[in-house]
Amino acid sequence: MHCDLLHFCYEGSGPAKRAHTEGIYHARFYWEKSQIMSYSGMTVNRQRKWMLYLLALFVLGAGFTPYPRIFLGLLLGGAASFYNLWLLQRKVSALAESVETNKRATGIGTLSRMAAAVLAVFIALRYDAYFDMIFVIVGLMTSYLVIVIDFFMSESEE
Amino acid sequence: MSGALAAAIAVGLAALGAGVGNGLIVSRTVEGIARQPELRGQLQTTMFIGVGLVEAMPIIAVVIALIVM
Repeated sequence: MHCDLLHFCYEGSGPAKRAHTEGIYHARFYWEKSQIMSYSGMTVNRQRKWMLYLLALFVLGAGFTPYPRIFLGLLLGGAASFYNLWLLQRKVSALAESVETNKRATGIGTLSRMAAAVLAVFIALRYDAYFDMIFVIVGLMTSYLVIVIDFFMSESEE
Repeated sequence: MSGALAAAIAVGLAALGAGVGNGLIVSRTVEGIARQPELRGQLQTTMFIGVGLVEAMPIIAVVIALIVM
């Protein structure tokens, strides 16, 4: 008899066996669902991981190099960019969920992301002595670079 | 005055481009998920790569318009 995670070995009979069979169907349904979801979940986690690596690199640069203004600018832009990435992933996931379950769809948060970028630029303009404006803009583009590089890397791996 | 006008034109055109681009991406993704719900994960990933690519330019435009103003 073939026994693994989804094909349990069960020797019972009657209602107990029926309940067990239904349990297997439910387990299989949720396993398939999780396989579908894991594709996007893996991408989301990988992109967040790379953003966190880059933010950690910027913190190290701000702390240990003679260019703190540049790295603080990158850090400010990178933090806003990470928020943008998180919001994008959350909104896209919510939209896909609402399409799948036939519920009312919401927007994808373009205005919120633009507002976050403007807020980062306002902070850089207000505290000009600490943040380099050009590198704040470069930092704001970090998440888009991560998305594109991650896409090409995952394509080449497949 | 001319700076504010330039900023307004830049943000307006950027928003126009982002709106059209996002609209195309979202409409195709919604259509795809409605046809094949089992492909939701892959379509969702493709969607946020597309939206990310489309939105990079408008965000730069908004930031530069703000600096110019």
